[in-house]
Amino acid sequence: MFKKGLVLVLALAMIMAMFTGCAKPAQAPVEEAPETPAEESKPELSFGMITDIGGLGDKSFNDSAWEGLQKAGKELGVEPVILQSTKQEDYEANIGNMAQSVDLSIAVGYLMEQAMKAGAEQYPDMKFGIIDTVVNAPNVMSVTFKEHEGSFLVGVIAGLTTKSNVVAFVGGMEGPLIEKFEVGFRAGVASVNPNAKVLVNYTGAFDNPDKGKEIAISQFKQKADVIYHASGACGIGVIQAADENDFWAIGVDQDQSSVSKNNKVLCSMIKRVDVGTYTIVKSYADNDFGGGKAIELGLKEEGVGYGDGGNNVPAEIRAVADKAKELVVNGTIIVPQTREELEAFKPVEIK
Amino acid sequence: MESGMNEFKENLIKTLKEIAYPLVAIFISVIAGGILVYAVGKDPIVAYTAMIKGSLGDWNKFGETLVTVTSLILTGLSIAFAFKCNLFNIGVEGQFIMGAIAAVWAGWAFTGLPAVVHLTLTLLSGAFAGGLWASIIGLLKAKVGSHEVINGIMMNYIAMYTSNYLVRTLLNVPGKAYSVDIADTAKLWRFSQAFEQFKHSRLHIGIILSLIAALAAYYILNKTVRGYEIRAVGINPHAAEYGGISVRKNIILSMIVSGLFAGLAGGIMTTGVQYRVNNLFGFTGYGLDGIAVSLVGNNHPIGVILSAFLFGVLQKGGPLMQIQGIPKEVVGIIQGIIILFVAANFVKVVTENIKLNRELKKQTVKEEVE
Amino acid sequence: MEGVGMFTILGIIVTASIRSATPLIFASLGGNFSERSGVFNIGLEGIMTVGAFSAVFFSFKTGSPWAGLLGAMIVGGLFGLLLAFMSIYIKANQVIVGTAINILAASLTTFLLVEIWGRPGQTDNVEYFKAVGPFNIFTYLAFVMVFISYYVLYKTPFGLRVRAVGEHPRAADTLGVNVYAIRYICVIISGILAGIGGASLSIGSMSLFKEGMVAGRGFIALAALIFGKWNPIGAALACLFFGFAVALETVGNNLPVPNEFLNALPYIMTMFAVSGFVGRAVGPAAGGIPYEKGEK
Repeated sequence: MFKKGLVLVLALAMIMAMFTGCAKPAQAPVEEAPETPAEESKPELSFGMITDIGGLGDKSFNDSAWEGLQKAGKELGVEPVILQSTKQEDYEANIGNMAQSVDLSIAVGYLMEQAMKAGAEQYPDMKFGIIDTVVNAPNVMSVTFKEHEGSFLVGVIAGLTTKSNVVAFVGGMEGPLIEKFEVGFRAGVASVNPNAKVLVNYTGAFDNPDKGKEIAISQFKQKADVIYHASGACGIGVIQAADENDFWAIGVDQDQSSVSKNNKVLCSMIKRVDVGTYTIVKSYADNDFGGGKAIELGLKEEGVGYGDGGNNVPAEIRAVADKAKELVVNGTIIVPQTREELEAFKPVEIK
Repeated sequence: MESGMNEFKENLIKTLKEIAYPLVAIFISVIAGGILVYAVGKDPIVAYTAMIKGSLGDWNKFGETLVTVTSLILTGLSIAFAFKCNLFNIGVEGQFIMGAIAAVWAGWAFTGLPAVVHLTLTLLSGAFAGGLWASIIGLLKAKVGSHEVINGIMMNYIAMYTSNYLVRTLLNVPGKAYSVDIADTAKLWRFSQAFEQFKHSRLHIGIILSLIAALAAYYILNKTVRGYEIRAVGINPHAAEYGGISVRKNIILSMIVSGLFAGLAGGIMTTGVQYRVNNLFGFTGYGLDGIAVSLVGNNHPIGVILSAFLFGVLQKGGPLMQIQGIPKEVVGIIQGIIILFVAANFVKVVTENIKLNRELKKQTVKEEVE
Repeated sequence: MEGVGMFTILGIIVTASIRSATPLIFASLGGNFSERSGVFNIGLEGIMTVGAFSAVFFSFKTGSPWAGLLGAMIVGGLFGLLLAFMSIYIKANQVIVGTAINILAASLTTFLLVEIWGRPGQTDNVEYFKAVGPFNIFTYLAFVMVFISYYVLYKTPFGLRVRAVGEHPRAADTLGVNVYAIRYICVIISGILAGIGGASLSIGSMSLFKEGMVAGRGFIALAALIFGKWNPIGAALACLFFGFAVALETVGNNLPVPNEFLNALPYIMTMFAVSGFVGRAVGPAAGGIPYEKGEK
């Protein structure tokens, strides 16, 4: 009998828990009642962002995109919505989910290209944005970056900084995007230091810091003293290895100098994904949405560049980097994007 | 007649009981998830409403859920089939990947074929690639005796890198991180082509194929001599060997069949949903999902269908929950709790223990009276 | 690789092998205890994940990596207890419970990460065990643990009982061995060791927790355990072999092979080794089967 009673009490407790669970938040709107007028005056605009499977918290690409959205949200008084994908084949469904909830959906990541094409077709009345790839549709605005140009600049800095004449690159999964980073970097090194050797490794992952660290240590032991990474979270390991050893790391996407404890990030190749997402939202809010437009942000547009949060780049090297930037902007130097183009690339003297 | 009725009644009660336990377990898990949602300051009712709306809210959502269910049924069947032979095919992930990439190749390389022929060929290529990938594991187990779990895990990674290599070279679209598209003749028929209700979903005929596959698995396992042999090896290999059943042959065979299901899942993903393969940043997750589906479905083909549906609802409900501000991890936590409770038969064991204790008590009381 | 001596390359390979093997050794030793007593622990991956997370959490809260290590051991042990309870008392399918632990661990840690640090992805930098020479403390500890484990399992009465319980629980029971108690202890030890393995990643190699950082190492440790034929020394050698393959990958730059091949190399080598040299792997006879006292 006692046991039965116990079960009953437990069951009751659970149901109670459930009800109290519902009751409390249900009261919330009542408490917030005075705020409802504010909600009415809210502009009729909503927007959100869909990430690829990497998701937020990468301290680079996705976080940067989200910053741009939040900045726009703050200015417009709107809370942006976020949807992080867990499977690649969900991209299309997620874009649909977002389009049903908000006016402007921004997909962040080149893998969502085909899904965006389908989504834009399915929801012709909604507006979309995509980062890192181009989708030709009247209701989609595309923003891409010239990562190779930014990588070229940090390549110049690395080529001038190295004392051992060996520098290195750590990539994530090999593919056309990461290739742009690698090739731009190698071209930059070759332009200022033709004798320098560039070691190249790919981790085969974007989420394995320990592997990034082992590869960086191995490159360091092979005499590399400046290591540039474009490998997502593996880069945390590269920077950790720099903290513990005598070499410089170069960060990627955002200024990563804060990741290093001992100020061992020489500089970072910055890709202003935040500018990209912000621009899309802003143009939409200003009724100037560039549907069907594709914007490519390079050095000229300040969409890529380098950041030196740790103040580690000496003035004379900075001067050369500035000169290199000038030459790229005015078209004297055309930075290669693929390995084939790199083969054909003739370094121009930077003076 | 009378006895027939009774038998029917008994069977019904037995089945109801079998279903009741997991249902109670799911209920408990849902409440636990609700408490968690409440603990982070969100409304559980909003969360669950979003989950149901996001997965079953309208025909399109329902269609999208079934798209996921299709893959889950097939990978679940794959795991379940191997389990019947006491093999843990943790390599489903790799077989799925190989099936998907092989289907891209077949769907792209052949042109000018009639749709029926091309589609069949493409699906078969996918299934065959999965079967081949699995057969290596089966052969190594049967001939050398190396453990299927090790080789399965290793071959998952090898499959992922192989697929990425092919996407980057042979099947590459220049400058892109995805493969070429398959021809229209290799695409599965979509419901949106005939039904307005499914306009915004990618629901395709593959769901029917997956149900047929479940029936086929049931038939092979329960109605054929081969299935009997496979199960016999699974229950007791020594006894089976003694009874004249070749253990090695059945190990290889059940691995191949298991791989065929996984490869077909990948092939259907290509021909029905994606039409291409992306550069993979990591595992697709269908292998691990398949394990969960199979286990919650008690390794039974019909159970696999039901549990695939449950997991489909959970997964496809997730995005709308996220849009409502519920952390994406909540879905994963609820899934974990459900597996723990359902598959572990937690409710059954606890209730039976309570019953047992009560009976013991009664007995001791009786003895004391006497 | 011109300009870099043979010895340098060799040095890189040796040290990188040992470092990469370290977390694997802990986890596979953990698996060893559990499976020797008859309980499959497919949840090693998940327990490593919670271990890595707890290590960072406790180091963050106290400022001492030692507290982090202790925290990882305790939380790892608790997850071991969960596995033990479900597979011994509830008699659930051990593969299921392990799978559930893996799914739970991944979601729970990312969930708590957001709750505690207020952002997803990764935690702040915390105090960690800095390398002493080419290795950190975990590497030295790992090798000590290998021999302790070997000694305990093969040279003590307790070890004899563990192996008996894993092979013939009924016979052991008849001889007065408490089958349940032995299994509980072994599975908890298994959780503690896997927890240390996770900690060696988060506060040894790194100084933070990043979601997904265990990256399949729990499963590879499982492979090493079988590769090493359920023997601590064998398992450690298997882990070193795997580490060696990873090390080869790090020096394989600028070779004329596709990067994907280099990335897959550790897995290919392991398969060849397992199938070519190890051969038939037969685990403890009672592995995976719940023990029922009154069973006939």
